[in-house]
Amino acid sequence: MKKSTTRSTRHAREGKIFGLPEYAVKIITVVVLVLLWEFLSHTGYINPLHLPRPSILISTLWELMIVGYPTGITVWIHIKATVWRILQGYFLAAALAIPMGLIIGRSYLLDRASNSIITFARSVATISLLPLAIAWFGVGEVSRVLLIAYGCYWAILTNTIQGVKQVDTNFINAGKMLGASRSQLFFRIILPATLPRIFAGMKIALGVGFMVIVAVEMIGTIEGLGALIQQARFYYSSNIAIDGMIFIGIFGLLISIVLDWLEQILLPWAVGLEEVER
Amino acid sequence: MSTQFFDVKVVIQNVTKQFASEDPDVGLALQDVSFSVHTNEFVTIVGRSGCGKSTMLNIVAGLLTPTEGDVLINGRSIDGPGLDRGMVFQHSGLFPWLTAIENIEFGPRNIGTSKAERHALGQGLIELVRLKGFESKYPRELSGGMQQRVAIARAMAMDPEILLMDEPFGALDQLTREDMQRELLRIWETRKKTVLFVTHGIIEAIYLSDRVLVFNPKPGFVRKEFIVDLPRPRQKSSPDFMRYYEEIYDAIH
Repeated sequence: MKKSTTRSTRHAREGKIFGLPEYAVKIITVVVLVLLWEFLSHTGYINPLHLPRPSILISTLWELMIVGYPTGITVWIHIKATVWRILQGYFLAAALAIPMGLIIGRSYLLDRASNSIITFARSVATISLLPLAIAWFGVGEVSRVLLIAYGCYWAILTNTIQGVKQVDTNFINAGKMLGASRSQLFFRIILPATLPRIFAGMKIALGVGFMVIVAVEMIGTIEGLGALIQQARFYYSSNIAIDGMIFIGIFGLLISIVLDWLEQILLPWAVGLEEVER
Repeated sequence: MSTQFFDVKVVIQNVTKQFASEDPDVGLALQDVSFSVHTNEFVTIVGRSGCGKSTMLNIVAGLLTPTEGDVLINGRSIDGPGLDRGMVFQHSGLFPWLTAIENIEFGPRNIGTSKAERHALGQGLIELVRLKGFESKYPRELSGGMQQRVAIARAMAMDPEILLMDEPFGALDQLTREDMQRELLRIWETRKKTVLFVTHGIIEAIYLSDRVLVFNPKPGFVRKEFIVDLPRPRQKSSPDFMRYYEEIYDAIH
């Protein structure tokens, strides 16, 4: 009872700021910042080659949507290519990392044995593997998808391992007292107890995917938001580069909203749990 | 009062528990503990924290193995947890990802009880612990007292002969704890069970139990035994109750 009261009062406070709903505050902040940027650009203190003003970015955006850059490749084609690569790499990573994390987390020996290797491997910046990936898999889609998968893999793996290790022994003991077999202990207790942490890892991994994408699209392709930015770089078209960045940012934001929403539907019992227990 | 118990349900036979530790004095949790619990008897172990009372309960549960000695249930030596024993934990024993009713039906589902049977069983237990209307709430949406009601119902769902309770009301506020003590006695009287209860509350022990065992700390063993010969419901302020309190208090200190 005490817990839920604390939560609801906090949410009540978070809900309104100066009598405005939270989303309105967010939108107003963005609008104000953009207007300020536009205003400063007109004073002449900012070189438009370094930082084009918002109105130019919007008209460039329009061109990117209709004409495309390079001509014929509209921004929609870029977005489709990028999102598709991220999804493939991301889900490939999840499909490998979740079972692996569950196995390692359950085994004291494997956890000890793999511990340093994992820390080593996740410290290696994904981008630095680009030459190796090209040597092994060529400059095609395979290299790109695998590099995204590599980047995402470690975040999901380490979070899954931590999640399994942190399963309350009381849960396991309760399960044993209630006649759970080994497989029931795993599927009815360890797995659901680990899900919130797996989800957290998936959220972090998605961010990593969006960071890696730009780099891996810089070679061997002209489709994708990363390729768009790369092309713009050759011609000093900072307006196009910035529009590309904005798209990547917007997609990162949208997908993370979708993940939060999915979490609320799939794990209603866990939403805000970490907050409450802190 | 103990004459009403015809047979012995649980026998703890010379149990010693030595945990792995550099200092053997620290690792020795229980030393040569022997006692028994009769069928349908309510026995409580009291003692200071760290006296090995929870270790004792976990050994009877089968969650820990004794270094030496044996635990017999119905005359047979135990080998790990079994459905003849149900357990109620102090903290977070409830599965947060399951609703109250799903928590209660967790055990029956493990052993393949049919959906219809499970439902009937669950509803009966929800009524027994007076949580009608809260079936589909998640544990975190329930108060501490309600959570422990669910935990009791969940342990009862397997219809165990023995109920093991590890400071189940220790985390509750004073008033809720007293409510839960009354509730537990009511449940115990409706569905006769053998109860082995662990607490550090002397009043709680006297209020609930047929017999109170005072544990010696480090290493743990039964230092003294009290048969609480008072009619129920017991008055916590009565002179007899106070006399038991003083005697047990002296035995602990």
